[in-house]
Amino acid sequence: MVPARPSLVMMALLGSAASGCAAELPTEASARGEVLFKNCVQCHGDSGEGSTLMNAPAIAGLPQWYVEAQVTHFQTGWRGAHADDVEGLKMRPMSRTLKSAADVSLVSAHVSKLAVNRGEASLVGDVAKGQSAYATCSVCHGADGTGNEAMKAPPLRQLNDWYIVAQLRKFKTGVRAYEPADASGATMKAMAGAVPDEAAMRDLAAYIHTLPL
Amino acid sequence: MLEHYMQQGSSYASQIDGLVWMVLLMTGFWFFLVQGALFYLLWRYRARPGHKAVYLDDAAEHAFEVKWIEIPHRVILICDVAVIIGAITVWSDIKLSAPKHDEVIRVVAQQWAWTFTHAGPDGELDTADDIVAIDEMHLQVGKTYSYELGAKDVLHAFSVPVFRLKQDAIPGRVITGWFKPTLVGEFDVQCAEICGIGHGIMPARLYVETPEAHAAWLANPTHYLAYKF
Ligand code: HEC
Ligand code: HEC
Ligand SMILES: [Cu+2]
Repeated sequence: MVPARPSLVMMALLGSAASGCAAELPTEASARGEVLFKNCVQCHGDSGEGSTLMNAPAIAGLPQWYVEAQVTHFQTGWRGAHADDVEGLKMRPMSRTLKSAADVSLVSAHVSKLAVNRGEASLVGDVAKGQSAYATCSVCHGADGTGNEAMKAPPLRQLNDWYIVAQLRKFKTGVRAYEPADASGATMKAMAGAVPDEAAMRDLAAYIHTLPL
Repeated sequence: MLEHYMQQGSSYASQIDGLVWMVLLMTGFWFFLVQGALFYLLWRYRARPGHKAVYLDDAAEHAFEVKWIEIPHRVILICDVAVIIGAITVWSDIKLSAPKHDEVIRVVAQQWAWTFTHAGPDGELDTADDIVAIDEMHLQVGKTYSYELGAKDVLHAFSVPVFRLKQDAIPGRVITGWFKPTLVGEFDVQCAEICGIGHGIMPARLYVETPEAHAAWLANPTHYLAYKF
């Protein structure tokens, strides 16, 4: 067994390097969530406010159940594993930096506690038209846009307006919610199918951006 | 033992390994010979109690140079020629000529995923039955494939160690090449050109299948590599 010795040395070296990292990861729940979140700030921003440069949405203040669900979908491939999903394909490997369901929960809990920041309005839409179209959406997402956990519908009012349009487009074209087993995705996909065009998407996003936080 | 870590999974893997071995053995031979001579001479002519270290005078040095430097130098040049002939042969076999292919597979790299477009049951690319799969590539053992490699955003490199294949992917260009898998199994594909923060976690999986297993996959394809947690 010739290679045994060098590999032991390598393992000892790697081990000491790895323990250096592991020592940084606290075991106390909230502190660990905060450290895990450091893997997200590159794109989602230091306080989860999102980044248009990275096309990464604001996630600050999204409910824990929804962040957990989406990160898990990215991990398993229910979201972000479609050839035309440029942004989703970037997020998918990042979800795999979380190695256990417990870590997914911890980082999601941390995200949910960050202060909501949906950024400035970035697109022009007809708010009045958006408001009347939003009547359909309110059944699940709430008239005030705060979402409905029982229906697995996330809050919308704290999302960036550009991200809302991007997601409606993805649902409509099947770039998101392409997996038949993804029931919550399928629900929303059907709804997005009823939004006629890009202009209607912009109107909806413009209206949602006016909902009080 | 060594074979376990260096599985050869393509028709040309052994040719590339042969070249690497040739270079390794030649340089290894000269390395040990030269270092051996150096250390022997240092030891042989060292200073000891009652002895001064021995140096050459100018006249002796010229004769010494001819014997110890010029002659080996010429022999090394012959080795170089052997390496160049070997390298050009392998290059022309693998890169300059391609055998007739049975099928074309499209490989597209992007931050941070691989999209493989398989020709599907009809064996023709760009038809309705093409199978697009993220981060997984399915091949039939023994078939010759031509690949079309592209990149959507930045530089990437398509590295398939078991094939001994590593090819840069460049945005705006379609680079073609070929491979013929010879070993059934599950192997690694890895991006080998730094491409952003996700570069280190941009692997894909290669499945080389028997004709039966490949037919089963074609009949019931997967569309992305599912990770288990
Ligand atoms: C390389 C950049 C990048 C990193 C790092 C990253 N993300 Fe993302 N994330 C994205 C992008 C881009 C999207 C938008 C995907 C889309 O458009 O469908 C996204 C989407 C999300 C969503 C979906 C939001 C929603 O409203 O549905 C969640 C949740 C999320 N990321 C959580 C995380 C967490 C937690 C981390 C850290 C472990 C993280 N992200 C790290 C780029 C990143
Ligand atoms: C029948 C219930 C239902 C209705 C009606 C509905 N949605 Fe949804 N929506 C959902 C669910 C469930 C999800 C979560 C999808 C998932 O899990 O991927 C969702 C997700 C979304 C998202 C993605 C949020 C994010 O953070 O990524 C947007 C944007 C959205 N809906 C907008 C709308 C708009 C606009 C309307 C009205 C045209 C609407 N929805 C109507 C159930 C609904
Ligand atoms: Cu890369």
